Amino acid sequence: MSDDGGGRVTELSSDVELLRAVARSQVDALQLLHRRHAPWLRARLTRRCADPDVVDAAIQDTFVAVWRDAHRYSDTGADAAAWIWTIAIRRLLSTLRGPAHRWLGGSGVTVPEGAVTTPSAEEMVLLGVEHGDLGAALSRLPPELRAVIQSTAIDGLTVREAARLLGVPEGTAKTRLMRARARLRELLT
Amino acid sequence: MSWHVHPELLDEYQRGGLDAARVMAVEVHMTACGSCRATVPGDTRWLDDNFHAVLDVVQAPRRSLAERLLCLLGVPEHRALVLAATPALRRSWLAATAVVLAFAVSAAYLGREGQPTLLWFLMVAPVLPVLAVATAYGAVVDRLHEISSTTPMAGPSLVLWRALAVVGVSMSMGVAAAMLLPDRGWYAVAWLLPAFLLCLGSLAMTTVMPLQLAAGLLGGAWLTVVTVLANVLAAPGVEVDAAVQRQIFGPTAQAAYLVAGLAAALILIMRRRRLEPGGSR
Amino acid sequence: MTTVRIAGLGKHFGSTVALDGVDLEIGTGLTGFLGPNGAGKTTLLRCLATALAPDRGRLDILGHDPALATQRTALRRRLGYLPQNPGLYPNFTAFALLDYVAVLKELTDRRERHREVRRVLEEVQLSDRAGTKIRKLSGGMRQRVALAQALLGNPDLLILDEPTVGLDPEQRMSFRALISRLGESRTVLLSTHQTEDVGALCERVVVMRGGRAVFDGTPLALAGLAVDRVWLSAQPPSGSRAYWRTADGRYRTLGERPDGGEATVPSIEDGYLTLLGPVAVGAPR
Repeated sequence: MSDDGGGRVTELSSDVELLRAVARSQVDALQLLHRRHAPWLRARLTRRCADPDVVDAAIQDTFVAVWRDAHRYSDTGADAAAWIWTIAIRRLLSTLRGPAHRWLGGSGVTVPEGAVTTPSAEEMVLLGVEHGDLGAALSRLPPELRAVIQSTAIDGLTVREAARLLGVPEGTAKTRLMRARARLRELLT
Repeated sequence: MSWHVHPELLDEYQRGGLDAARVMAVEVHMTACGSCRATVPGDTRWLDDNFHAVLDVVQAPRRSLAERLLCLLGVPEHRALVLAATPALRRSWLAATAVVLAFAVSAAYLGREGQPTLLWFLMVAPVLPVLAVATAYGAVVDRLHEISSTTPMAGPSLVLWRALAVVGVSMSMGVAAAMLLPDRGWYAVAWLLPAFLLCLGSLAMTTVMPLQLAAGLLGGAWLTVVTVLANVLAAPGVEVDAAVQRQIFGPTAQAAYLVAGLAAALILIMRRRRLEPGGSR
Repeated sequence: MTTVRIAGLGKHFGSTVALDGVDLEIGTGLTGFLGPNGAGKTTLLRCLATALAPDRGRLDILGHDPALATQRTALRRRLGYLPQNPGLYPNFTAFALLDYVAVLKELTDRRERHREVRRVLEEVQLSDRAGTKIRKLSGGMRQRVALAQALLGNPDLLILDEPTVGLDPEQRMSFRALISRLGESRTVLLSTHQTEDVGALCERVVVMRGGRAVFDGTPLALAGLAVDRVWLSAQPPSGSRAYWRTADGRYRTLGERPDGGEATVPSIEDGYLTLLGPVAVGAPR
């Protein structure tokens, strides 16, 4: 029983092809994306929230959002995995809603804000870790400063979202971010 | 890339045994590296459950207004779904009912020979619910009947639930229309008992004949009786409408409707097993 | 194992006799019903599907007597029925329609029900059309939705009236694969105009005519009725008999042996036509 309707997608299709197919309401493409991305999203979200039910719900919400917003993806130009992650972390955030009591204390590392997905950011972190000085600098950073750096630089949240996540006023989060940057710069030079 | 997340590192990461810097390194790397993402093991059962939950949201049909209203009233979801699919609860039917009621109300304002009259409204209002009941079940009104009549839910309970739903809706519309009548007094609700009688009566008759026939017979009988009476009572000097109103909707008549309605209900309860008004049984 | 017992079944509509005393015993596996229009196939299947009450005769279906209300409901719980003209609500999506029928089949838990709806959509390969409204589906797709509703709840008895109508050859092949798989563990009754469907699928075939079962046996036995009745000859046969020219240039005739004719292997269709005689061709509705 064959069907017409658009290009077929397979396990070999790229994320971008799958997202395009999802934008054309192809359920099989959504399933392939889910199979490909749900496991690592689960692993990563689990490190931020200990409650597996909340994580599962956040992942479900993520793919519902992917289904509805896939047509918007091409506009953003971001890497597909990073785009999906951004949705996932925000879904987790809104699933948690209230204070961040279930949130695991974050450990942080710095990369230039907003540059999460670019190779240079990654290279920088890797370099830093390999040479040990960034690792050392991070471990000497007070936990509340590390947390705000993680939320913004690694998880890709805005300062406002990070503030909500950490349960502090936005102004406080901003101050902490600036202090964290200053401390890191200090420690790394 | 010079570096990949090897299995031990991934394992440490998942168990939470890495220091802050390494966690970040793993996460930043995974965001950019598809082959490392693919090494995160996915439990098939979990994946399946999780994806089904996603599908539940993206594929599930959007609930209709009627369905959502019924759910708000505390009707279980599955029952609301069945009731909302009743032909008589579709928009076209509701619109038709509203139009008829609007005419009846306007007629009350325009009146006859300069006198405002409720008679038109009182004549029509009891018939609408019974017509709605006629559309609740059966091959004539439901194109899916051939399929739905062979499901375990077919038969008495489905008929009665649907009848209840449509009667509820069309009577509420009737009551709303009655609020708009010029002279609201006691007579504005005088049609309720006849309406109940017609509905219960046609359901009771459905144990021996198709629903549509039963509803048609009773609805037709009602209109005939009212019209004939109006003509019989017509005489010089008699205010016909008021006389008919007294005869058909007065206290004596209401008592009779109540008794007849209870009798119909009794028959319905006793013969409910035979309530399969597809015409086939 | 016998799952369906039919004894002396009769049904008339006004003065038309639709079923004239049908006696059959049917077991698990696939049974095909063949016959011209008006032979009583649909009436018989409707009686078995509890859509129609027979005038006389007895039925025992999966151990239930559909004449009794409680047993009828019990039977309906184990029954899947694809009617000849399934009327589907055009404004419902495929998913919504199946969801609705699933509720009627007493799948009340929303989550479980949706899972079952997706399963049957998958079975008929319509998963990607779940959200499409029925009126926007092609005829073949609608037929598949209609088949999918019969599969809801994994019934023990499947009654399929003309299931291959509206399917293109490729869909028909997938459909056959599905039906034959379903027939491995349950009772499947299907009526068809396509003698090839019967040959490909059914271990048993019942030919109906004038409200009676006039043949009951294997497809091979049905073809066997035309042994020494099918001929190939170099010249077209004389007289007004029906014949056609085959790919190798010879003439194929059913009936009396034409001059120089040599016997050939009969098909199920040959057996069917031999059995019904001229009535099968251009029979009145």
